[in-house]
Amino acid sequence: MTKVDPFAFWSRGIGRRQFLAGSTALGAMAATGLGPRRAHAEETLNILTWPGHADPAVVGPFEEKYGVDVVAKEYVGGENMLALVNQSPPGTYDVVLSDAEYVVMLRDGGFIEEMDPADYPFDSLFPEFKKFPGHWLDDKLYSMIIRFGYLGLAYRTDALTKEEVESYAIMWDEKVKGGVGFFDWYLPSMGCLSLYNGNEKPFDIDDAAFDKLKETLFSLAPQSSGFYSMADTFSSLTSGAAKCIPGIGDWITLLLAKDGVPVDATVPKEGGIQWTESMSIMAGSTKKDLAKAFIQYMTSAEGQMRSAMMPAYNASIPSKPGWEMLNAEHPDEAVRLRMTFDDRNVLDEYAEGKIHIRRTPVQQDIETWNDAWTEFKSL
Amino acid sequence: MAHGRPTKRRDMFPAAFILPPLVWQASFFITPLVFLVWMSFWRVKNFRLTRDFVTANWERIYNAGFFYDAYVHTFTLATVNALVVSVLAFPAAYFLAFRAGPKVRQLAIVFLVTPFFTSYLVRIYSLQIILAEHGIINSALGLVGLGPITMLSTSFATVVGFLTLTLPLVILVQLLALSQVDKRLMEAASNLGVPPFEAVFKVVIPSAKVGLIMAGTFGFLLSFGDYVSPLFLGGSKPPTLSILIADQVKSGNNWPRASVVAVTMVVTLVAVLLLMTSLAYAKRGKK
Amino acid sequence: MTRGDKILSVYLAAIFVFILAPIVTLIVFSFNADRFPSLPWSGFSLEWYEAIASDSTIHTGFKNSLIVAVATAVISTILGFCAAYTDYRFKFFGKMGFLALAAMPPTVPVVILGIANLTFMAQINLAGTLQAVILGHTVYCAPFAMALIRIRLADLDPDIEPAAWNLGATRMTTVRQVVLPFCRPAIFSAMAITAAVSFDEFMIAWFVSGINETLPVRILAMLQGQVSPRINAVGSLVFLVTITLVLIAQAAVYSFRKTRRNV
Repeated sequence: MTKVDPFAFWSRGIGRRQFLAGSTALGAMAATGLGPRRAHAEETLNILTWPGHADPAVVGPFEEKYGVDVVAKEYVGGENMLALVNQSPPGTYDVVLSDAEYVVMLRDGGFIEEMDPADYPFDSLFPEFKKFPGHWLDDKLYSMIIRFGYLGLAYRTDALTKEEVESYAIMWDEKVKGGVGFFDWYLPSMGCLSLYNGNEKPFDIDDAAFDKLKETLFSLAPQSSGFYSMADTFSSLTSGAAKCIPGIGDWITLLLAKDGVPVDATVPKEGGIQWTESMSIMAGSTKKDLAKAFIQYMTSAEGQMRSAMMPAYNASIPSKPGWEMLNAEHPDEAVRLRMTFDDRNVLDEYAEGKIHIRRTPVQQDIETWNDAWTEFKSL
Repeated sequence: MAHGRPTKRRDMFPAAFILPPLVWQASFFITPLVFLVWMSFWRVKNFRLTRDFVTANWERIYNAGFFYDAYVHTFTLATVNALVVSVLAFPAAYFLAFRAGPKVRQLAIVFLVTPFFTSYLVRIYSLQIILAEHGIINSALGLVGLGPITMLSTSFATVVGFLTLTLPLVILVQLLALSQVDKRLMEAASNLGVPPFEAVFKVVIPSAKVGLIMAGTFGFLLSFGDYVSPLFLGGSKPPTLSILIADQVKSGNNWPRASVVAVTMVVTLVAVLLLMTSLAYAKRGKK
Repeated sequence: MTRGDKILSVYLAAIFVFILAPIVTLIVFSFNADRFPSLPWSGFSLEWYEAIASDSTIHTGFKNSLIVAVATAVISTILGFCAAYTDYRFKFFGKMGFLALAAMPPTVPVVILGIANLTFMAQINLAGTLQAVILGHTVYCAPFAMALIRIRLADLDPDIEPAAWNLGATRMTTVRQVVLPFCRPAIFSAMAITAAVSFDEFMIAWFVSGINETLPVRILAMLQGQVSPRINAVGSLVFLVTITLVLIAQAAVYSFRKTRRNV
């Protein structure tokens, strides 16, 4: 009878030399892992953000100047952020990057502090963003805007034409059967469909309109190619598995297009949704001065310029000096990101009134919308 | 198995070995699981967990259509994987156990163990590259004028992911089981003129039954609870129970509802494990 | 070789292509210049290795993973040895229950261990710490250590210990001087294997690690958050580390091979 010991190969020959080589390799790896960049950075600033915001390309100069490491815990979706904030002991995070509509929940939970407007460069903001709803609650400042963008319909230009994506209706077309991807977050996806249904205020709808919205959503199930987190959203458009995705926008397609992927994003005639990201100081933080300095850096011209070009996903910035610096130092990027002063730029679309500010559901619970989304996913 | 010497009362020697694992596993394995059950009766208000004793979470989940869909889907996928992996593994294990030389066998075992030491996550990411619309397989098909075939975000891709996770393990366990088969039985069968292919079904499989069933059971257990493959390869379409758990937590900090799903999964797994064990050790019926 | 054998060996080769293809792809694409991995291959580049070399989150994750892996390896091997020796030496009421408890954790999906652990750790104020990850990992890894050591103990004649007792050695001394040296190779492999399992585990760690992310948790975050061949580069490095651990385990067994003959 053959006796098989699955672990027997360990006892088979490997010489002392291989052993030494192996240990040396491991030692060397450990050394490089623990070595170089440990030198400075005694202190860390912990931030809770959407993916990519602690990229050295963005926060490098700040880390350099203050001798700190910016450490990020990343989330996808506002509810995920609130869940993490609620799960973590106070003091875990110093700064939170939130979407405007969730700031109120952060305040109500007592997680963030009131901020002093005098600390931040409000003069440098374009007028649209000086008193942005959601950042100001009861006339007090709770969050400082960093970047924004529009959500509509992203599509592969080799599958659909510019004319075809003028309406969300294209998603039901035979052409994209099994090719409509979904960013796995109920809020922007359902918001765009609510606009398609003709709701004036896409998130403030009565129960009848909500039932109608559910119906519209569920009717898309046969068209679906899958549900994607951030990275999958990029790769499904790249691979062509998804031919169009509602509820996303430039923040996904700009980077892909730069890499030569045939994609574009548009705001269909039914309208689009605006997202914003803003930073608040956590009430439990023990490093509030550092947190303030960080937000000041992020709202400075340099921080703004770097944030616009953030490697994980690009966005528009609300700071005029930020635009100026971008145009001066990276004119090509300014054109690509449509933030030049002469040509048609991102602010023009805003002015046209097609853009609705994203909010959390008004007449229903978040849970109700979320459950509809979960149900949709399982269809 | 050996016994200790007849032990006196208050003998601390056995306790020194029994207690550490017992206390440790009871504290950090059993207690959290008990907590999980308890938590399924708590409430969540404004993203905050509150201790309570309400059955609302159970009612909500057990009345939700998506829960049943996810349950059936997960169970089916895991069962399909268990069967497919068992069938795929068997010829390989058979060859290694009876036909291959010791050198080949040793080398094969090294290769079978290697995947355990590459991050499963990263392997799944690699599979995305392989299975994608413009990925490696479709590019190869394109060269011969076929395709492209959509594989990502299908249950097929999910099962491929499960297979990368379970195939090496199942081959190893089957190999272990087959190596216990008495070769004299096979010789006897051969002497009686039973063709080798028939001998596999008449002699080999019956005598290695326990190991073969357990190998398949591993294939089920691992894929039933996997989160990564259905998410990154299956595109959450439709979601499995593990994805449901993560979604409940992410979308509203709804730990109690996630616990309901988790408890249901554990109960299912224990039931499957018991069923398969009793099946494996069942006496064969009269012939 | 018969025709049947030829078919079977081709089949075996195909199985290995399937099993190893993702690993090969991973290493190959870690040198691909393109950011969004797609064919055709767009040129050789070390860019992604440079990117992770300067990425402090990767360094921190690597360090955290090493700490967790070492601690997990030591604790779970001790627990595994105790459990294996218990099975080998003692007979008592409830032993089946004991063994089930000692062996069961790996059959519970890690998602479930993860959420169970997080709530529990939150109650004892350990949520978000590396200690919590270590506790979770020891529970999961100890059974592997037990299995490896138990396999080795099966080769130790059960009458050797009683012989030593009869010569006047205490039972603890016998464990120290006879059982432990005999198990040494298995103990070293158990340490290396549990370290490797812990180094790769991401689900428990994802739930309980909070801001102290381990390397695989970082990889999961990258997988969800950003498309970047950095994942391939990190994956290749992780592969190198774990394979090295396995080689060390192998070498450990080799260097102590003589003990097997002496006992």
